[in-house]
Amino acid sequence: MVTSLASRLLEALGPDTVRSSPEDLAVYSYDAYSEGHLPSAAVIPHDAREAALAVRIAFECGEPVVPRGAGSGLCGGAIPACGGLVVSMVRMNRILNLDVRNRRARVQPGLINLDLSRAIAAHGIFYAPDPSSQKISTIGGNVGTNAGGPHCLSYGTTTNHVLGVEFVDGEGVIHHTSLDDPGYDLTGLLVGSEGTLGLLTAVDVRLMALPESVRVAVAAFPDVESASEAVSAVIAAGIVPTALEIMDRLITAAVEAHYQAGFPLDAGAVLLVEIAGPRDDMAAGEAAIARIAQAHGALSWRASSDPAEREALWASRKGAAGALGRIAPNYYIQDACVPRTKLPAVIHEIGRIAHAYDLPVGNVFHAGDGNLHPLLCYDRRDARAVRAVVDAGTEILSTCIAMGGTISGEHGIGYEKRDSLSLVFGTDDLAAMGRVRDVFDPRRLFNPDKIFPSGAVCGEVRAPAAVA
Amino acid sequence: MTAGIAPRIITPDDAAGAAATLAACARDGFAVVAVGGSTLQSLGNAPRRCDVALHTSRLRGIRDYDPRDMTAGIEAGTTLAEVARVLGEHGQWIPFDAPLPARATVGGTLAAGWAGPRRAAYGRLRDLLIGSTIALADGTLARAGGMVVKNVTGYDMSKLYVGSLGTLGLIVRANFKALPQPAAQRLAVAPLADDVRERAIAAIGGLTVEPTAALIVDGFPRVARWPGAALRLVLLFEGSEAVVERGTRDARSALGKAGVAETLLHDGAGAQRGFTELIDAYVDAAGERTLTYRTTGLPSTAWARTRAGEGLARAGGLHAESIADLRTGDAILRFSTRTVAAFAAKLPAFDADVRRAFDHATVLAGGAALRASIDAWGAEPATIATMRAIKKHFDPAGILAPGRYVGAI
Repeated sequence: MVTSLASRLLEALGPDTVRSSPEDLAVYSYDAYSEGHLPSAAVIPHDAREAALAVRIAFECGEPVVPRGAGSGLCGGAIPACGGLVVSMVRMNRILNLDVRNRRARVQPGLINLDLSRAIAAHGIFYAPDPSSQKISTIGGNVGTNAGGPHCLSYGTTTNHVLGVEFVDGEGVIHHTSLDDPGYDLTGLLVGSEGTLGLLTAVDVRLMALPESVRVAVAAFPDVESASEAVSAVIAAGIVPTALEIMDRLITAAVEAHYQAGFPLDAGAVLLVEIAGPRDDMAAGEAAIARIAQAHGALSWRASSDPAEREALWASRKGAAGALGRIAPNYYIQDACVPRTKLPAVIHEIGRIAHAYDLPVGNVFHAGDGNLHPLLCYDRRDARAVRAVVDAGTEILSTCIAMGGTISGEHGIGYEKRDSLSLVFGTDDLAAMGRVRDVFDPRRLFNPDKIFPSGAVCGEVRAPAAVA
Repeated sequence: MTAGIAPRIITPDDAAGAAATLAACARDGFAVVAVGGSTLQSLGNAPRRCDVALHTSRLRGIRDYDPRDMTAGIEAGTTLAEVARVLGEHGQWIPFDAPLPARATVGGTLAAGWAGPRRAAYGRLRDLLIGSTIALADGTLARAGGMVVKNVTGYDMSKLYVGSLGTLGLIVRANFKALPQPAAQRLAVAPLADDVRERAIAAIGGLTVEPTAALIVDGFPRVARWPGAALRLVLLFEGSEAVVERGTRDARSALGKAGVAETLLHDGAGAQRGFTELIDAYVDAAGERTLTYRTTGLPSTAWARTRAGEGLARAGGLHAESIADLRTGDAILRFSTRTVAAFAAKLPAFDADVRRAFDHATVLAGGAALRASIDAWGAEPATIATMRAIKKHFDPAGILAPGRYVGAI
């Protein structure tokens, strides 16, 4: 019972750590996805011990446990879809240990991504995964969704930067995994498991040496297709820059209006390129990419190695989704990934689909990775438009799958896309994942109703109701 | 079939055949050991039973390789050399970094969880793996991941299979992200006299252009045609011509200041050959009188661990050779003595000393008789109960390489 969970938590952890009044719980009912559900209780633990105790009590009460970082996830991963206990990590936001020489750190899951790189920059090292949300999103949340970001083109995604984790199981026991341990790679399983296998309480991260030189270039193209062709050609030429990002005209206009970073407004698409590494490679690398861009119809090319200018360009690129607020009251951001050579075709299809549903669409995407983020603009008060967005989104995902792609490159499946997972995987594929779930969470109390197609999980326990 | 006699060799023609074989073995209780190129079969314990040797030699081929996408789907029995040849035609590669690439297979290298010295620069093999298909003991084929380089759709099952040594299923296909081949390679080799070692190690740590591999090699006569002292610092630089040139120049200068008398350079094919020989030496031609451990840990402690290994050998009356990997933190320790019998007599006690001295020490290679008398894994990790549960859920009949893995899994 609800009261029993909250009262037991209060008794064990005290009012400073436990929230149980409906008005307090409302904040824990949603994340950046459009629906929400009220939890029975929330805890804000100070350390792993408190978190473990809370998990044990929740499991004893038969209540789900839902981890929460910044609540910035776009797919509903932090929504307590079946009620239960939300564990907020905001107080567990410290760097527990920093080993500069060996380039690793142990951090708490509530640490904000950008705060880590800022705290260690003076040592000449950084944490590579940089999702656009990095100013607010947490390392724990990033680990949960195996977050990406513009720079994973050459540095890889979160999972490539996690050396081990500490997690709490359903009995409230704290475990530690490490890539150094012999045996099955539990670390690799836990990263990207969206809180369904246990509660993260610490993460061992790999850090990298800051590159000696960094150069950013902005190229204007007549349209997204030609910019995408240029990206494919750069990769095909055996050049892997640290980032290759495309923004279309709609996004560029919104970003420029907000940030005035100096992106060209007359272009159909803007390509943002970053190369980083030893200074010896900068001039040749830039020249090679510029040549390819020009051969694919680039209208202009502007390069900079000035840190302030670079910072401004990246800040505006990472703020692209937010800047869209200038154009439409609401937007729906999709996340899909296709083989890189399919980019021009899939962009064309997205345009066709959006047009058919009469929805303005903006495209801002990690082109080098083939990771698309079409943003469909709509007004939530218009029921017809809401329906159109949902249908267009599904059609876009189906198109990506048909082109050999997948339904999430970096945001995760969460609550939103759980029923779409069966578009990608068959019964046998999902059954193998189910075996892992059976090992870690046989009672299906860790973040239920996430990732896996709905039906048999918590729908039987308590039907989730949309509140937002 | 009865345990104890030579295993029956089954060589399926395709993935479905492999899955059907596993299902049949599970039904009849036959123990199955997967066989690729047999270059890393020395990893782990000898399985308790082996009724069927499942060879992957007919599961060969590179599928869905579009060089413009820089991704390739590769069947398990394809050799690393074949992958290098096909991708190399397009200036691309997958840094398997594994011994004996002409025989070693993609599936076997993954199942072994091979982690080579260049992983600090290019990532672990698991990090380049973007999708997989595995044949499971219930006869199903389960896919994970896909053919895209970023993918968060369900659990990252491929990582579970990497390093599982055939105890959960048979990897039949692996999809990789390929990398552009470095334009230039140069190997710098410097003999290290006793009095300059510490300073030389410190000098390497301060280089702006980092070597893709930095090893201190002590012994290993097969790669000893490199002249100089028994103890050599080996640095591999890879990248553009300009970066490689600067990297070796800076390294030479820094080592010179640290008191290193001379640094020899090998270019192009010579660098490649030298480095390949070195990686081969991790497991190859170890002989029946040797036992090789890999210890993992912090890079800053790798050198000290090889010295500790040397100390153990001296105390135990054994001969020691070692490789200290200054970038990844691996320390490879090879022990030997005059006869198998002489080593075997010391072994249980010596193995216990090794396990006491190092947190993470596993047996990498060595004589079969010596390996049979000890556990390859040492102390069980704290998460062993979870690992046992995973095994039980994937292989309830316990037919997949029984006893080979950690904790007698």
